[in-house]
Amino acid sequence: MKREDLAHPLVGLVVLAAAIALPFYVDSRYVIGQVTLGLFYAIVASQWNLLFGFSGVFSLAQMALFGFGGYATAMLCFYFGLNIWAAMPLAAVATVLFSLVIGAACLRLSGAYTALLTLAVAQVMYLLIVTDTDCFVMVGTQCRQLTGGAVGFARFGDLGTRAMFKAKFLVANYALVVALFAITMVFTWAIIRGPIGLAFRALRDNPGCAMARGISRFQMQLLVFGLSAFFTGLAGGLYAAHFNAIGPGVLSFSQLFFIIAMVVVGGIGRLWGPLVGAIVLVAADEAMREIGEFRSLGLGIIIAAVMVLMPNGLIGLFESIWNRLRTRNPGMTAEMSGETPA
Amino acid sequence: MEIIGPVLVSGITTGALYALATLGLSLVWGSLGMLNMAHGTLLTLGGYAAFTAASQLGLPVPLAVLAATAVGGVIGALIFVLVAYPLSRRSPETFETTIMIATFGVALTLENAVLRLYGGQPLGQPLSVGGAINLGGFALPWQNLIIVVSAIALMGATALFLTRTKAGRAIRATAQNPDAAKLMGVPVARVYLQVLILSGMLAGVCGVLVSSITQLSPSLGADPMLKAFIMCVVAGLGNLPGAIITSFGLAIVEALVQFLAGARWGFPALLAIVILVLIRRPGGLFGRVEVRRL
Repeated sequence: MKREDLAHPLVGLVVLAAAIALPFYVDSRYVIGQVTLGLFYAIVASQWNLLFGFSGVFSLAQMALFGFGGYATAMLCFYFGLNIWAAMPLAAVATVLFSLVIGAACLRLSGAYTALLTLAVAQVMYLLIVTDTDCFVMVGTQCRQLTGGAVGFARFGDLGTRAMFKAKFLVANYALVVALFAITMVFTWAIIRGPIGLAFRALRDNPGCAMARGISRFQMQLLVFGLSAFFTGLAGGLYAAHFNAIGPGVLSFSQLFFIIAMVVVGGIGRLWGPLVGAIVLVAADEAMREIGEFRSLGLGIIIAAVMVLMPNGLIGLFESIWNRLRTRNPGMTAEMSGETPA
Repeated sequence: MEIIGPVLVSGITTGALYALATLGLSLVWGSLGMLNMAHGTLLTLGGYAAFTAASQLGLPVPLAVLAATAVGGVIGALIFVLVAYPLSRRSPETFETTIMIATFGVALTLENAVLRLYGGQPLGQPLSVGGAINLGGFALPWQNLIIVVSAIALMGATALFLTRTKAGRAIRATAQNPDAAKLMGVPVARVYLQVLILSGMLAGVCGVLVSSITQLSPSLGADPMLKAFIMCVVAGLGNLPGAIITSFGLAIVEALVQFLAGARWGFPALLAIVILVLIRRPGGLFGRVEVRRL
């Protein structure tokens, strides 16, 4: 095994150890709650990174898929009385099917065209849910729309952690999200290491050559679209279950770009980029809570500035510093490699 | 058949607005290959600039419109100097996607700045005219007429600028082939700057027009921008005449669907048309299929 192959699992183990240690050292329910939220973001961001960073598909429907997973879970519980544990995987599979439909419509094109179409799909989904006012069923004396309307769904099921762990249920939910995050990262790592990942990257770096070598761009990009939709949808389901509520807010523009900002800040096309970005941005968000009103403004500046000043993100920055330090020691090579841009 | 009148009035009015928004977007895309996600925010800024000039400073209408144009142009120039130019120098191969993310950051910043300065409540745009002409059976509001006429005038002026002036010829040359233009002595970077200023000015006026039939709000430009994106895509990104024809056509279809099936189905119907068109013609209705050398 090469040294590079070992780096990612090692980082993974360190991250996992830190995640397990956290609830033993931190008692604050608020902190645990925010870290859980950050991990949800990190899962979605890692899948967008798989899609964009590793495969070059610029989709803006990531939060739409997350929302679809959440809504599917809520609706399966609400209308069919399913147990939430059964609803989540079903919803994840439904999200994959939904993503394949979107992908079949949008992935024939590339680059900015794909971005615009997926954005339009997400926006239509949001508008149709928010403007839904027709009564579908009556709950008591209250009218309920098929999609939950502008309010969304609440109290449709329970993970069972509250009954089992009583006051410590938040930590149990946190553990579930950590587990999902760990599985997602192993899945992402396995894909980008394998032959499919090589095809994805070939299509990203040089679509023409990749296609000339017999890789079908449409099929491969549809495949990565579907693959990344599974954990996105599952995360959406767990999100709905954790908060016991889901509303159209997750489909909003700002949520989508919060996710994208995480990948950009952490490092596009770096396996651990989304996690680094999620930690930094959730922490920055917390720090900016002091200046409350200017949160979104600050976020906008961060996105634009990072994109312009360090396009490879924080991890890219560390990499170039690390490379410079390493090449400085063996004298001769320093001058040669020092000149080449990162 | 009494719906034809209102559908046409509303369809042609929104069509003119979409066409104007699309024109600015398409201009930038066609020459820089840059999808400006902050274009909608430029509309918003234009609308608010006119509001400030007219109702807070009490300036006359032409000056207020001029203020909107100036603000749009200045912000357009700033976007180029601070964001687009450094990005295109730094990583030209990933420019197409990175610029979208970066300009979205700009949009988020500016939109929130507007929200902080003016508050979230909708404001009335003072530059609107009441009353209507009665055209045997249905009413044609003056405001709609003004919008359509000024939009067409602006598009005409832009077309004249692009075809008849030296600067316009430089813009078209750069759009067709930046390298060849550079070799012929066209200062490409300055042309790009001019394009963004022009697009920002058009967006500023467009914002005034949009806010004159709706209301001023920080998210004013978001909806026209998303529609303009769609028009651009259907027409083939970067194709100006095609974008204008498509804008009018799709706006009338949208108005028809909204009248027949309810307002909430207008946008989904548009999207369905777009996807069907693109499956048949991936380069857009008027777009040429690009031959890319590897």
